[in-house]
Amino acid sequence: MSGISVTELFKTYKGSDEPTLKGLSFQFPEGKIAGLLGPNGAGKTTTISILCGLVRGDSGEVVIHGLKQEAAHREAIKHIIGIVPQQIALYPQLSAVENLTYFGNLYGFKGKALQQKIMHYLEIFGLEKSAHKEIHKYSGGMKRRANIIAAILHDPQLLILDEPTAGVDVQSRGMILQFLRDYNSRGASILYTSHLLEEAQSLCEDVVIMDEGKMIVQGNPLKLIEQHPACQNLEDVFLHFTGYALRD
Amino acid sequence: MLRLLATIRKEWQLLLRDKMGLILLFVMPLVLITVMALIQDAPFKDYQEIKFDILTVDNDHGRLGRHVKEGLEAGGQFNIIDSLDGKPITAEHAKELVNEGKYKISIIVPAGATAAIVSNANRIVNDISHRMGMTVSLPVKKGGDSLNVIIYFDPAAKKAFKGAIHQALDNFLTQVETEMLLDRIRGQLHNKDVPEAGTDTLPIRLQAVGLQEHSTGSSKEIDVISNSVQHNVPAWSIFAMFFIVIPIAGNMIREREDGSLLRMKLIPGSYLAILAGKMLFFVGICVLQFYLMMLVGIYLMPLLDLPQLVMGHHHGATILVASGIGLAATAYGILIGTLFKTPNQALNFGAISIVILSAIGGIWIPLEVMPAKMQVLGHLSPLSWGLDAINDIYLRNGDIDYVWKNVLRLILTGLAMLAIAGWVEKRRMN
Repeated sequence: MSGISVTELFKTYKGSDEPTLKGLSFQFPEGKIAGLLGPNGAGKTTTISILCGLVRGDSGEVVIHGLKQEAAHREAIKHIIGIVPQQIALYPQLSAVENLTYFGNLYGFKGKALQQKIMHYLEIFGLEKSAHKEIHKYSGGMKRRANIIAAILHDPQLLILDEPTAGVDVQSRGMILQFLRDYNSRGASILYTSHLLEEAQSLCEDVVIMDEGKMIVQGNPLKLIEQHPACQNLEDVFLHFTGYALRD
Repeated sequence: MLRLLATIRKEWQLLLRDKMGLILLFVMPLVLITVMALIQDAPFKDYQEIKFDILTVDNDHGRLGRHVKEGLEAGGQFNIIDSLDGKPITAEHAKELVNEGKYKISIIVPAGATAAIVSNANRIVNDISHRMGMTVSLPVKKGGDSLNVIIYFDPAAKKAFKGAIHQALDNFLTQVETEMLLDRIRGQLHNKDVPEAGTDTLPIRLQAVGLQEHSTGSSKEIDVISNSVQHNVPAWSIFAMFFIVIPIAGNMIREREDGSLLRMKLIPGSYLAILAGKMLFFVGICVLQFYLMMLVGIYLMPLLDLPQLVMGHHHGATILVASGIGLAATAYGILIGTLFKTPNQALNFGAISIVILSAIGGIWIPLEVMPAKMQVLGHLSPLSWGLDAINDIYLRNGDIDYVWKNVLRLILTGLAMLAIAGWVEKRRMN
């Protein structure tokens, strides 16, 4: 199928007794905004790392836009996806323009076309006035916004975001979420993880709640709430499936 | 190519923003080589180049005492001090001053020394004349007790220093005694009934065969001796070039920590091109460092009363060696940056390991003066390969034929370190 398909995915890290992923399976259709939700240690970051090809699963199958995640397709998949990691994956001593020019060059873009693209996105994300300011002088929200631009310079068909709104103010969060809706409206798929379940409820058309390396439930957030009359919102559904016990 | 050039530009931008890094890479090495050349100047000088104060007590007041003083002064190696505060020095006072370390050497010429030498020379001449059937009888002192010129050394004086002074004085005394003997023989030949003209036109030579040093340089002759600048400037330059390990390892760990490495790996295309760009940039920085330090040796050292650095004639070979050292140093930085998880770990290990490699590699003191086992160990250090190659060019006037083996060792070691780093990174991903 087109979109993302994960089937019976297992992963145990070296030196660890407990598997991180224990037969995880889910599917997200193409062109949707999907959420991968779960408590700390559920295996979300490992799942994303396997989707990107950074980490290899022990067994199971991952298919992205019809391409199996394996050595033969790894480069093709890199063209399809854009990753916004949890960390601000930019050089703090360089300005936004210098960072984006460098990463744009690595994608093979150069010259005026690249500069125009960079300035276009800096304007969209409200960073045009700080374009030449070093990243370490940015606020948390500005860093998050610049981090997203670095992931979309090559116009990926699938954008994967790992907690893109963590630690940002309401204004920046609103801006980021609106951008994701706009980007999705152009036909791109979006997969995002977050601990902000209210945000996920308003943004996602489909969510997977996972815990202890397995999928617990999948569906449209509103439908999931409807299916569980005791739950008022997605957070209630989340707690219903994952419980109240603290996680490491 | 775009990835490679973009990486070089990015590294350049990062370096320009890192003021401390710039100081570490370009200012500290210049200070280091200058200081090391200055403080190691004296130990590197031959004893012939250094002038020592020498306390001289002449109790002989004869020809020997005068000859010893004049001879020592004429050699240009000693400042003769025979009186302090206008008073002649006594043997006891001289001994005391040397023992206190105020002077390094004292020579006591005993009373009657000239008489003893004259008597000995007369005895030899009488004996020779007798054997030749001549009736000569020069005065000879009865009771042939030999006298000694006494030398006192500062107790802290090194064995090699004492040996060199002993040899110099012994040679000088032998020369004085021989001259006295020849004077007497010449006198007897004068007295003999032979024509006057014949004697002085055939002077007796003390040395029939002399010593002359020639350069071993193969083609264009250069006359370079291993002085403080010739050793310290290249040696500490290599040491400083290897210190590039610190910024490289720190840079790589930061890239891993802040996620930019992750982003680079998520971008399609070979990571090798990015790594090659990084390597080219830092090898270039190493070569630039090297030549800046050579310029200090050529232009700054003479202003500090040190010898000028001589770089040999084969500049192509020098660039090759500098690039080889840069490659090995950069690869070592990448390996450390890959192996260690925190900048602190990398900094400590990197710095200490370079100090150890430099110490055993002949950077601090030449390998030749180390114990045999340490010399074997020292020849395994990449820093010693670099230094050997530079010495081949600078001191032996060698070309690429002289240095290629050491350059190859540096390159292969660099490639091996990169391969290990690649293997570790791959294992980490898996």
